[in-house]
Amino acid sequence: MKKYFEKQRNLLDYALASLWRRKGKNISVFLVFSLVIFLLASFLFLSRSLQVAAQTTLRQTPEITVQRMVAGRQESMPLTYAERIRGIFGVRRVSPRVWGYHYNEVTGANITVMALAGDPELGREPLAEGAFWQQGEQGRAVIGQGVVKDLDLGGRRTFSFFRDDLTLKSFAVAGIFAPETNILTYDLVLLDIADGRDLFGLADDLATDLLVEVVNPLEIATVARKISERLPDTRVVTRPQIQGTYQAVFSWRSGVAAICLLSALSAFIILAWDKASGMSPEERREISILKILGWQTPDVLQVRFWEGFALSLLAFAAGAILAYVHVGYFQAALFRPVMMGWSVLRPGFDLVPIVQGGDLLLIFCLSVLPYLAATVVPAWRCAAVATDAAMGG
Amino acid sequence: MLVNPWSLALCLLAGLSLFLLGMASKTALRVMRSWQPASDSARQIGLEAEIWLSSTLVQYGLAFQVISLFLFVLAADHFSGMLAGAMCATGSLLANDYGLPLLAVKGTGIFLYGGWIVFHQLDISSETYPLVRFKYILLLCLLPFVVADAVLLILYLTALQPDIITSCCAIIFDAAPSGTVQNLVGGRHGQGLLLLHYGWAALLFAAGLVAWRRRQAFFYLLYGVGMLLFFGLALTTLVAEISSYIYAMPFHNCPFCMLKKEYGYFGFLLYIPLFFSVFCGVMAMVVELVKSRPGLGRRVAELQRVMVAVSLGALLLYSTLSAWHYLLYLVAGGEG
Repeated sequence: MKKYFEKQRNLLDYALASLWRRKGKNISVFLVFSLVIFLLASFLFLSRSLQVAAQTTLRQTPEITVQRMVAGRQESMPLTYAERIRGIFGVRRVSPRVWGYHYNEVTGANITVMALAGDPELGREPLAEGAFWQQGEQGRAVIGQGVVKDLDLGGRRTFSFFRDDLTLKSFAVAGIFAPETNILTYDLVLLDIADGRDLFGLADDLATDLLVEVVNPLEIATVARKISERLPDTRVVTRPQIQGTYQAVFSWRSGVAAICLLSALSAFIILAWDKASGMSPEERREISILKILGWQTPDVLQVRFWEGFALSLLAFAAGAILAYVHVGYFQAALFRPVMMGWSVLRPGFDLVPIVQGGDLLLIFCLSVLPYLAATVVPAWRCAAVATDAAMGG
Repeated sequence: MLVNPWSLALCLLAGLSLFLLGMASKTALRVMRSWQPASDSARQIGLEAEIWLSSTLVQYGLAFQVISLFLFVLAADHFSGMLAGAMCATGSLLANDYGLPLLAVKGTGIFLYGGWIVFHQLDISSETYPLVRFKYILLLCLLPFVVADAVLLILYLTALQPDIITSCCAIIFDAAPSGTVQNLVGGRHGQGLLLLHYGWAALLFAAGLVAWRRRQAFFYLLYGVGMLLFFGLALTTLVAEISSYIYAMPFHNCPFCMLKKEYGYFGFLLYIPLFFSVFCGVMAMVVELVKSRPGLGRRVAELQRVMVAVSLGALLLYSTLSAWHYLLYLVAGGEG
């Protein structure tokens, strides 16, 4: 056993020396390979970060959202529906919500306006300054970092929005969300529900949708089914469904990207195959000398394996580290538009690159293994060179 | 669900395995047709060079299959987030009829490719290559297996439908939040199964020791068959009983979650010794087939002893590690 490892170590030693001797050729292969792995890894890291960010967002959302559907479109919901949901066993709380978008004609941005009933502080994100309003207090708003910029507030702490009939409604800024919560709050204006109804011109007994909290997470599906049976004209969306959809969408997008990159990879593999096949007279001579010295075909094959493995492992490490830097420090500048929505205001949060063992294995399988498979046949052709022919030529 | 990085990687690996084994089979056909060890014609010399290529290709294929098994389990876990009712890898595998057969094919494949490499090593240890025809017939028998693997994979992935909320229609509901209660081997079996499991392991250990001392075909056969039966028993016990103690949850019986970070990758410590133990035990029995070939008798006898020794060591390791959480539970009363 010890002899075996000693032999492999010596072969590895020889392989590394041989890689270094053919610097020019190997460095070009290394650079192209690193680039391909960098692109692939960037996409996968980015999609994983977005998935995790989406999961964090969704952890805050209530278990079930109920919306009223009329003629296939969402309509405002009468509050009487809430009473009928409260009767279902296992429901902790039902709260109405009013929300919509406010279009800022000056900057062309869409601001999300959300108005909640009850104590605003409950389960909310931390604030950078100010405080939430007291329950029942009106005309006060808590806004996100992006809204401060968009409305160009500067030091001012009041702003106003147009109602649909073009009358003005003013708000005092009670607080500003902390920048860490940008993914949730960047474009958000949070109001009391009475203010929200006033702004959107909604009657007092209406809400946009109902948020249902369920005591036991295992009962979400059952409670959701009961709601849809009691209120057949509603659409019931559960949190696990939203999470699943997000994951499916991100996976699909990174899958499409991976297909595009696979074509780059296959081009590279063809290049690698070609480079490995074209044997220079020096290489031919080298292998002949090794064989005369007593090397066997499998020894030469093993040296070639170690060469390929070392080269692709280096390229893998370089590509993965560059991708980490790209996602972490440069916010995945190259691919962000592909993976995220197309809204102008929305993408204002910091990506945190998340690396999981599984993702690294995935990148390894998509890059290093095809390379090794592609170089094995040319390596054998080299190794099987007949000694006399090579020396004679 | 083919458009997904995990599916793509799995398909790529399946394609590469097919390519490698296909190339190796080309050599196999040529060897079957015109292998003449006594001749020194150019064709024979060419063939002798080619068998190095084919064995390297099969070794790559084996490594790829081992990796693809892990990748498959990880992918199943990843898919579970997109399937209604699937809470972990078990749920994804049960999502359609191809998941479990695919897992079985991949698992068996590792044993088969590994076995081929053992025969190859025996073959090249003798200067006359006594097993060339034998091992290339085996290789051709492996090919349909690799094809089955690829076909099942494509069927499994295409039949997998992620649940996406559609805005047009209403609600898709999970039949029941299954997954946690799902058990791959049906109900629970109680302490009796654990007793049978460890009793069988103890008997096997004794049989292995006898085989190691006596070096007789009969004992190797006994040990090998006992190992095969133990493999089924061990997997059943792992899923039905031992998993609960690892997760510290009576109704969590997933055989794959223990491979994840949340449980300290403990599953690898169980599966790898178990696979090794079974593989070496069974191979000690199987290589008996070629013991009578010229020039192999001594090599095979040596190999059998090493195999049984490795198998016994791995068995001991597996038994100790698998009992760890159970004993901890008995002594300390669960986690803590």
